Amino acid sequence: MIKPLILAFALAWLGLPAVANESLRFPATNEDGPPPRSLTIHGALDLPYVEPVLEDFHRRYPDIELHYRNFTTLALHQHFLDDEQEKADVMISSAMPWQYRLANDGHAQPLETPAASAWPSWARWRQELFGLTFEPIVIVYRHELAEQFGAVASHAELLSLLERRYKELRNRVVTYDPARSGAGYTYAIEEARLSPRYWDLIAALGRADAALVGTTGEMLEGLAEGRYWLGYNLLGSYARDFVEEHPQLEMVIPSDYALVTQRLAFIPRKAPHPESARLFLDYLLSEAGQRVIGERTSLGTVHPSLEGPGTAGEMRTRLGDALRPIRLGPGLLATLDDLKREALLSRWQREFQRWSAIPFP
Amino acid sequence: MKPPGSLYRRLLVWLLLPLMALGALMLIQAYLDARKTADRAFDRLLEAATLAIAEQVQWQNERLWLDLPPAALEMLATDAEERVFYALYDGDGEFITGNARLPGDPRGDAESGDTLYYRDIDWHGLDLRQGIRRTRLEDWSLRERFEVRVGHTREGRQVLTLSLLRGNLAYIAAMAGVAIIVLLLAVRSALAPLTRLRRAIRARDPRTLAPLELSLPRELAELRETLNELLARMRRVRANQERFIGDASHQLRTPLAGLSARAELALRQDDPQAWHDALKAMQATSASTARLAVQLLSLTRLNNPEATPELRRLDLNVVSRMAVRNAWNTCHRDGIDLGMEVPDSPVMAAGVDWQLEEALGNLIDNSRRYGAKRITVRTLPNPPTLEVEDDGPGIPADKRLLVLRPFYRGRDGGEGSGLGLAIVDGIARTHQARLTLREGQDGRGLRVILRFPGDRQ
Repeated sequence: MIKPLILAFALAWLGLPAVANESLRFPATNEDGPPPRSLTIHGALDLPYVEPVLEDFHRRYPDIELHYRNFTTLALHQHFLDDEQEKADVMISSAMPWQYRLANDGHAQPLETPAASAWPSWARWRQELFGLTFEPIVIVYRHELAEQFGAVASHAELLSLLERRYKELRNRVVTYDPARSGAGYTYAIEEARLSPRYWDLIAALGRADAALVGTTGEMLEGLAEGRYWLGYNLLGSYARDFVEEHPQLEMVIPSDYALVTQRLAFIPRKAPHPESARLFLDYLLSEAGQRVIGERTSLGTVHPSLEGPGTAGEMRTRLGDALRPIRLGPGLLATLDDLKREALLSRWQREFQRWSAIPFP
Repeated sequence: MKPPGSLYRRLLVWLLLPLMALGALMLIQAYLDARKTADRAFDRLLEAATLAIAEQVQWQNERLWLDLPPAALEMLATDAEERVFYALYDGDGEFITGNARLPGDPRGDAESGDTLYYRDIDWHGLDLRQGIRRTRLEDWSLRERFEVRVGHTREGRQVLTLSLLRGNLAYIAAMAGVAIIVLLLAVRSALAPLTRLRRAIRARDPRTLAPLELSLPRELAELRETLNELLARMRRVRANQERFIGDASHQLRTPLAGLSARAELALRQDDPQAWHDALKAMQATSASTARLAVQLLSLTRLNNPEATPELRRLDLNVVSRMAVRNAWNTCHRDGIDLGMEVPDSPVMAAGVDWQLEEALGNLIDNSRRYGAKRITVRTLPNPPTLEVEDDGPGIPADKRLLVLRPFYRGRDGGEGSGLGLAIVDGIARTHQARLTLREGQDGRGLRVILRFPGDRQ
């Protein structure tokens, strides 16, 4: 069912140096209490991000033996569909379209708890699929850029800057290659839906000979080294920590619109330990679990009662309507359509080369 | 025995059961209607989505090409967050793209080439409503056929169905409520005359037998008339009883007054002969009074409808013989010729022997007292009949019915009590026999005939 094209597309998902088959284990420590329960979590979420959450959960439920396995998004998806493999109790992944597709096909079971019912409807689908985090897509630039051409705070400013200064910025701008990166492709689809001016922006990027890379990490490294002056469409949760460590960089959440992605979690219908799975997912949706995510990782939180930097509430008051969380709906299925992908990528290529086809003025 | 049901309950049950069945039918109908309406409304979404997808189908790179519009999928999911499936198939039924290999339109190609088809399917355990649009490319030269298949789960439809049904439900419930109230009132008012009748009967003086006078509907008027007829019969019976009691006390008072007067007269005299005469006269009077009392008693017993003695088969010849034997001495002393005519074979009839003997005894005694010189007791078979004939003065034809009344003395003179024939009449009725009075042979005297109702074998 999954074609080689998608395979390539998925391998580059989110562009993080995801190392497959890492795992974490927390044995049951509560010897006197009830017989130990078991919980297997499969995720595409790096260990530094997941460990604080698991620790806290294990402290609350010491009788549950935790086993977390980290996959790439593609491996996670394939592992799930492979009947021979070990079954997961909870699935967490940032590949929104794939998580959505699994839930849409009826692979998820509903979670009926007060926390799940109170979860914001924009971050939830049918009590089955829950968006746990709130991660805006950002622009990162070096201070040199601001000094020479002024700060960039929005897509419109970026477009006008690129149109005015494409000669000076040649090879100085970096963004995702939608053909290589699943995340980049997802953002391209969403942005193309938001406004036709997106294609002007792609054309302007093409005119400035923007570098196309596969991961946020590559972009950040290039920016830190000074190869690039501006990176467009970086995953905010990873950029935030990096920019804090590199004072020469500036991170901007575009003020006209900013996409927001989420890590989606669900309990598979065939989960071997549904009781523990419900406890864990309910914990992730609880204020306590969200607080751990917000305070000990750079992933933004969704829970409406949490406040402070990195929370959905804080970002909404600061940026208002500009925040555009990727809608948890059937539109995501279009992202996975092979023909759609071909159509979008060919358009993207065409727009990227809009100016190169015309002789230099 | 079944417990006596209530008319009210019976009416209610028979009216409410069909009403409830009708209500249930209406509910089912309302549900089906609501479901159909919801399907019609939501099928528009399938139509729009297939159209939006079909419009994006093109011919590119020597094959069908689809730039899937995400909005086409978004419109298939309403607030109920349905699961959404779509697929594009070419004219040969080859899968081009989609997230599910949905089944196709089972029908053949339509004339126009463009068809739209909706149906419910079960797809991998999910209840789906499917819409299939079969159409062709509108290119300059190419007319490639293709099929757009979409489907979504039924949650939104169910929500709409339920909300439509709730509206209908309120309407049906209100109607049922009104119907039940009207029904209760109707049944109550239909049964009200019955209550009036009961009250009218209960409020009556128990001693009055006057007819019921109240206006009632036709069905109950019949009942009232029947009741009135019964009351009229009871009135006649009671009049008879009152007259009988009056007559009886009068009859008893006369000889008792005579006795008392005679004793008083005798006490004024010193002559033992006179005392002796008086005692003799008093003895005769008291004997006849005692006989009167016995007759009154047996008449009362015969008239009691609740004391019907059991009838047994017996030979009327034997009964006649016994009666003649009992009366023989008295008749012989008075010089009366008492005879008997019986057939050789027994004449069988159902009866009580002592009653029949008494009837015959009374008839013989009657004839003797009214001056007959010859009395004949006769039995006849087919039908079994008892006859007593005398050559006395007889009874005129117009008085023959009257003499059956107690204390009526058809024949002047004589010393009878006036009860003999009444007793015979009572006994005849007990035996369901017919009592007839005729003149004797040669047109003289009296012939009393008791004809029994045939041999019941």
